[in-house]
Amino acid sequence: MASTRRTFLATAIAVALIGRLSVGTQGQAPPAAPRPAATFRDLAPIDLTGYWVSVVTEDWRYRMVMPQTGDFGSVPLNPDGRKAAERWKPDQAGRCEAFGVGSGMRAPGRLHITWENDSTLRIDTEAGAQTRRLYLGEAPAAGAPSWQGTSVATWDGPPDVIDVLRTGGFDQLNRGTGQAARRLAWTPLKVVTTNFRAGWLRTNGVPYSDRASITEHFMRYSVPDSGEWLTVRTVVDDPLYLVQPFMVSTNFKKEADGASKWSPKACRE
Amino acid sequence: MRTWLQAFRPAIAVSFLLLPIPAAAQVDLTGTWSPRYQEDFSERVPGPELGDYTGLPLTDGARRYAESWDPARITMPEEQCRVHISPYIYRGPTNIAIFDERDPSTRELIAIKHRISTFDQERTIYMDGRPHPPAYAPHTWMGFSTGVWQGNMLVVTTTHIKKGWLRRNGVPESDLATLTEYFVRTGDVLTRISAISDPVYLTEPLVKSEEFVLNTQGVPHRSWLYKCKPVVEVVRPEGAVPHYLPGKNPYLQEYRKKYGFPESVTRGGAVQNYPAGSQPVPTGAPMKPSGPVLAAPKPGEVKVLHVQGQVYMLASTDGNMVVQAGDEGVLLVDTLPAALSTAALAAIRTISDKPIHYIVNTQAGEAHTGGNEALAKAGPTRPDRAPLGSGLGGNTGGATSIVAHENVLNRMSATVSGSGPDVKTARPRGSWPSDTFFEDENDFFFNTEAVQVLHQPSALDDGDSAVFFRRSDVIVAGDIFSTVGYPVFDAKQGGSINGVVAALNRLLKLAVATGNMEGGTMIVPGHGRLSDKMDLVEYRNMVTIVRDRIQALVAEGKTLEQVRAAQPTLDYDARYAAPSGPGSADAFVAAVYQSLRPK
Repeated sequence: MASTRRTFLATAIAVALIGRLSVGTQGQAPPAAPRPAATFRDLAPIDLTGYWVSVVTEDWRYRMVMPQTGDFGSVPLNPDGRKAAERWKPDQAGRCEAFGVGSGMRAPGRLHITWENDSTLRIDTEAGAQTRRLYLGEAPAAGAPSWQGTSVATWDGPPDVIDVLRTGGFDQLNRGTGQAARRLAWTPLKVVTTNFRAGWLRTNGVPYSDRASITEHFMRYSVPDSGEWLTVRTVVDDPLYLVQPFMVSTNFKKEADGASKWSPKACRE
Repeated sequence: MRTWLQAFRPAIAVSFLLLPIPAAAQVDLTGTWSPRYQEDFSERVPGPELGDYTGLPLTDGARRYAESWDPARITMPEEQCRVHISPYIYRGPTNIAIFDERDPSTRELIAIKHRISTFDQERTIYMDGRPHPPAYAPHTWMGFSTGVWQGNMLVVTTTHIKKGWLRRNGVPESDLATLTEYFVRTGDVLTRISAISDPVYLTEPLVKSEEFVLNTQGVPHRSWLYKCKPVVEVVRPEGAVPHYLPGKNPYLQEYRKKYGFPESVTRGGAVQNYPAGSQPVPTGAPMKPSGPVLAAPKPGEVKVLHVQGQVYMLASTDGNMVVQAGDEGVLLVDTLPAALSTAALAAIRTISDKPIHYIVNTQAGEAHTGGNEALAKAGPTRPDRAPLGSGLGGNTGGATSIVAHENVLNRMSATVSGSGPDVKTARPRGSWPSDTFFEDENDFFFNTEAVQVLHQPSALDDGDSAVFFRRSDVIVAGDIFSTVGYPVFDAKQGGSINGVVAALNRLLKLAVATGNMEGGTMIVPGHGRLSDKMDLVEYRNMVTIVRDRIQALVAEGKTLEQVRAAQPTLDYDARYAAPSGPGSADAFVAAVYQSLRPK
């Protein structure tokens, strides 16, 4: 049934399009521009919205409990990074540095992802009670650096996919066979964040600086007999504190009843 | 000013989105990939600490297995070359070379191959839509994988994986697990997400993910090789399997003390992995099976599987039988219940239309000998015994030679009632073995290979035999070995738990695996799937460990009820226990207890 509906819709759009082309080629004046029929929200190849709960099967002793002071295992720190990490004191636990964009996804808890408008995804987190905005359209002008910074999002398929959605891809699509657009069936969401405050990669003070570049990929998928899952890959490349990019991926499971469990806990400034 | 073209751009994009998705690859995954170990580093590279089961949604049985595991087991020759299974091997130190296999004439993609440097493994992910093998097919370290593209994500489903590790400090993954993987490439980074469903050792799917970076500098060619030849590192009594008795592992405290964790945390379980409010009810019971439904024989059906050489396994819901077929004719090992004779003969005739010269029985039970009479009649006699008849399906009065240990004949011909011409015997005369032996071994040559019939004294009873086809390199174990059940032995008929253990160790000595402990000598169990030496090792270990646990309890003077309360089979019940009857956990524990207690 769904397939029939899609076919009908595609045919209708194609007929409408051919009609427009026909008019255009007869040399008549183009019609008044209609409202766009689709938005970034409409074109999203994967639906990230909903409540997602972290399922901590990796780095358990770094994430579910406070790591021991001085335990920086597997973070590729340089000497400056190590010195900065060693300055951390246990009384700093719970500060907002642990919930910034560099590591906020790693904190155990729930995410609530919604469309704030047709071109902005909003992520609220229980851990640290943070809010992120992922801008698929124009990002606002940079203000003062914040824990979550300014995040610009794109669907990260082959280059022609991005073209279709953002700039100039229509020409390619018009020339070719539409293969580029078909690739939108499943594509991760790439998020690049800038203008953020320095924070911690782990709750025991392993640092990242405000000079780091932070790139994430959001990937949704179905696990047989276990519902919908979301994996967020985070790559922190920090010339100040790291000798190579710090690369982790964090797994969440969709919760239909997440709203009833929602219990944000604010961090300390 | 916007043109009409600009205005319709989103609509056009949507129209193409609604077109069918081509099945062809969307992203090129080929290349050499090197992992990053910035998650779970201590587990993945140096190795996990003993007693650390955090993050794992374990069943109670899995926890028991892990806590009983002794690292000294790695020193056993049969364990030294054990390969990490496909769900786990990507998490260790390794490089992965991904390349395509294409049809040389059409260039269509047949499979995506993964060359894995650790343990010299090559994994095939079929992309041509072929089905998974049937449930009775053998398992391998890498399993059988099929893939489909979902847009830019490759989704791979893997079944037929050997038993291995969820974590290599003794946390087991069963051979019934299904692996689902999601490969996502963006730029020069590849993410592999894995979801393991195990209806034996997990309470819910275990989802993990790891990253690989495109290696543009190359990997030295020797790094892809891994040759392993087992040696005796520690001299032990034959058949000894290192393990800790429940509650006696002295090293489980180390991890807890090092990090100051309470015991409830380090013993794992799904409840530890979720924030408050989302924690599942901690039942400790296995999850339901998940993954593709595999083909299996239905009641009344007999399915054929080529083992290797001249040997074929015939699978049914009542157990397995074997066909050896060559120029001289057909040899059968066991004949299934009488009700399956027609189906069995039809299956045999898909392999060979030559006469059935020999039937070898591995034991006396109906499941092994029920078809003796009908199948013996289906073929003419052995050339040296009586005149050959017309051949196929036509009995000419001769008798196919039915070979078995004499105790099988004794059991089948035992008088049930009456005497003289009215005597009633346990089984019809036409099904009795006609060619018995009383020695330890009975050998003959047929179809250009040596066939050894090996008596296994005091195993399931006093008449068990295994059959070894030396050229084909196949052992038919009979019910001494099963991949789906505990051994059912009968002390009143001469069986014993120590006899079963001895028989399993004898078969292990005959079997030789390849360098990666996979394949080589193939072993047909009485019930379950086609196996190899490592599968037999797992079964031998299970039987030995359960025997040792009950032996220790018997030595402490425990009653049968006390032994049952100690749950000595807890870590194996989800795999081997029947819900009731002689194959149940209760019955197995009772049989072992009776076999070991002082008489």
